[in-house]
Amino acid sequence: MNDPAVPLALNSEQRVRLAALADVLIPSGAGLPSASEANVHGKWVDRVLAVRPDLAEPLVVALSEGGEPREALERWRSDAPAAFEAFAFIVSSAYFINPRVRRLLGYPGQGPKPNPVLPDEADYYLEGGILDVVRERGPSYRPTPEA
Amino acid sequence: MSGSKSVEVADVLIIGGGTSGGVAAKHLAESGLKVVCLEQGHWVNQDDLPGTRPEYELLGSKKWHPNPNIRANPEDYPCECSDADLPVLMYAAVGGTSLLYGGVWSRLAPSDFRVRTLDGIADDWPLTYEELVPYFEETEREVGVSGLAGNPAYPAGYDPPLSAHPIHKAGRKAAEGMNRLGWHWWPIYQAIPTREYGNQAQCVRYGVCMLGCPEGSKGSTDLTHWPIALRHGARVVTGARVSRITLNERGLASGAVYIDREGREHVQPALVVILAANGVGTPRLLLLSASNRFPDGLANSSGLVGKRLMLHPVTKVVGQYDEAVDEWVGPAGGDIESMQFYETDTSRGFVRGSKWLLQGSVGPLEALSLWTSGEGRQEEIWGEAFTRKMKSSIGHQMEWVIQPEDLPEESNTVTLDAGLKDSDGVPAPKIAYRYSDNTRRILDFGIARAREAHEAAGARKTWVVGLDVESGHGGMGQAHLLGTARMGNDRESSVVDRHGRAHDVPNLYIIDGSVFVTSSAINPTGTICALAKRTAAYICEQARLQKVPS
Repeated sequence: MNDPAVPLALNSEQRVRLAALADVLIPSGAGLPSASEANVHGKWVDRVLAVRPDLAEPLVVALSEGGEPREALERWRSDAPAAFEAFAFIVSSAYFINPRVRRLLGYPGQGPKPNPVLPDEADYYLEGGILDVVRERGPSYRPTPEA
Repeated sequence: MSGSKSVEVADVLIIGGGTSGGVAAKHLAESGLKVVCLEQGHWVNQDDLPGTRPEYELLGSKKWHPNPNIRANPEDYPCECSDADLPVLMYAAVGGTSLLYGGVWSRLAPSDFRVRTLDGIADDWPLTYEELVPYFEETEREVGVSGLAGNPAYPAGYDPPLSAHPIHKAGRKAAEGMNRLGWHWWPIYQAIPTREYGNQAQCVRYGVCMLGCPEGSKGSTDLTHWPIALRHGARVVTGARVSRITLNERGLASGAVYIDREGREHVQPALVVILAANGVGTPRLLLLSASNRFPDGLANSSGLVGKRLMLHPVTKVVGQYDEAVDEWVGPAGGDIESMQFYETDTSRGFVRGSKWLLQGSVGPLEALSLWTSGEGRQEEIWGEAFTRKMKSSIGHQMEWVIQPEDLPEESNTVTLDAGLKDSDGVPAPKIAYRYSDNTRRILDFGIARAREAHEAAGARKTWVVGLDVESGHGGMGQAHLLGTARMGNDRESSVVDRHGRAHDVPNLYIIDGSVFVTSSAINPTGTICALAKRTAAYICEQARLQKVPS
């Protein structure tokens, strides 16, 4: 098997197979591209393997198995669920780090946001006295009993 | 083995440079004591944290995973968990698990210290809420807790030093639902400053708190305590895996043996030894330190070392909403909390209760994980459903986390595994842990109420992730490692006294979550650190009277 410290470089045949399998898991829809349209089998799977080289082995094993893509995936799912889950994790990870996919999903990524964005932002979210009813119900804790 | 003759004797040796160890080290070093800490991990460079990278979730699934069995870094020890309903989480580094925690920083409630008196079950603590208040207040100042005063779930006077974070869209929506039901909620307390504070930067809401704070804001002790301890002369030896505590001929702790990263053994002598290795590492070390004098493990005449393990087996109830809730906005530990079902009401069919925290699922891989686990698996996610479901999930989901009180059971244990060893050949801990009937009832009740809370807030769909509600097993891992060396006044039914001192070894102290008598349902770090501060203060006060090796 490959040295996990060295990121795996998939060959073109493996990438073609990956695209076919990945499109079964993630076809296009809801305004989002399919896995292959998002180039999951290109630079994005390389990015996944660069930070998770330990995933190379289950990926290569998955890509080496033949058969019609949909049938192959269904077979793994019933006979080797751990292998299926690992493959699905690789495909979805590659899909989600594509910035185009993130944008279309409406996910801005984890970036810094000034705190507060606006003066009195904490108060803004509490407007309308929504905490008043909580306060007005009074103490709910049980005090320390007398010794 | 390297000789100890050339090694300076520490006034206080702290085993574990994590959360409680940092609190004690700062206090002891500031008081003028010569402190040495042995830490199996290393310093973490803020620039190496993964949260600012697009692949942050992938990095969090392996190298930065809180489960040592998945992370498997050289400094981690494995935990044998095949007899446990959920894994145990921890992080080995200076700062310890506080590097990866959410920063939720609350006090135990007054009733938590009087469980036997109030509810006729488990045990009372040998101290009260009121006795701990000065130490709560000091440690809240040390880690920069942000929060809102006046919470009716606590006695008056719980007034965090910094103003609360905004509760954001998600918190507002959930709060409106709670108000419709007449249920308690409150902005969450967090060791994450809303303004620049000491060594801590102002929080800029990255929302990746559980992968380490890339801004240097979250109150982890590598930031809040260790730099101050070092300035006062404390010394941290990193990459130092302690294999046993040593004793002198009078049965006093005399130091510890540790193995460095080159595999060499060393001895660090000390006058006083503090264990701060968490609720799994501490009983492991006590059991590893068995001797002719202490054949069942050090400080274990009660037989309770490693027993009564409590883990807070949390479960999530996910709610999906039509309106955007922008759940990725940090802090990630939560926006609001609820103690509506915290105190005992026996009409519910159980004793004790749960605390709830409202959290977001943050990134897309985490959002997907809610569909590939628990009740999420009941619907197909792959194929035609994938893009539609993810589009309706991202930005539209939030979770009520149900955190139940986990009562102490002697059958839930940390022992030494017969076969598994760490990379230095030291026996690994074996975890045995099963949900109790009471815990299951707390969770079942909480799940049903949390569905109602989501629905009252307008959720179009709810589902459960964590506990497998059909089998009664499975669950999310937890870093709340509690109870395995409990404190108490009676040496036959406890391991340490009310100051954290071992009944059997008068110069050995324990300051991590092991000493908890009961778990409460509160995130424990704030109370662990208050207790650590109190023990450190006691050691300083008693320094002249302290029995030490000659």
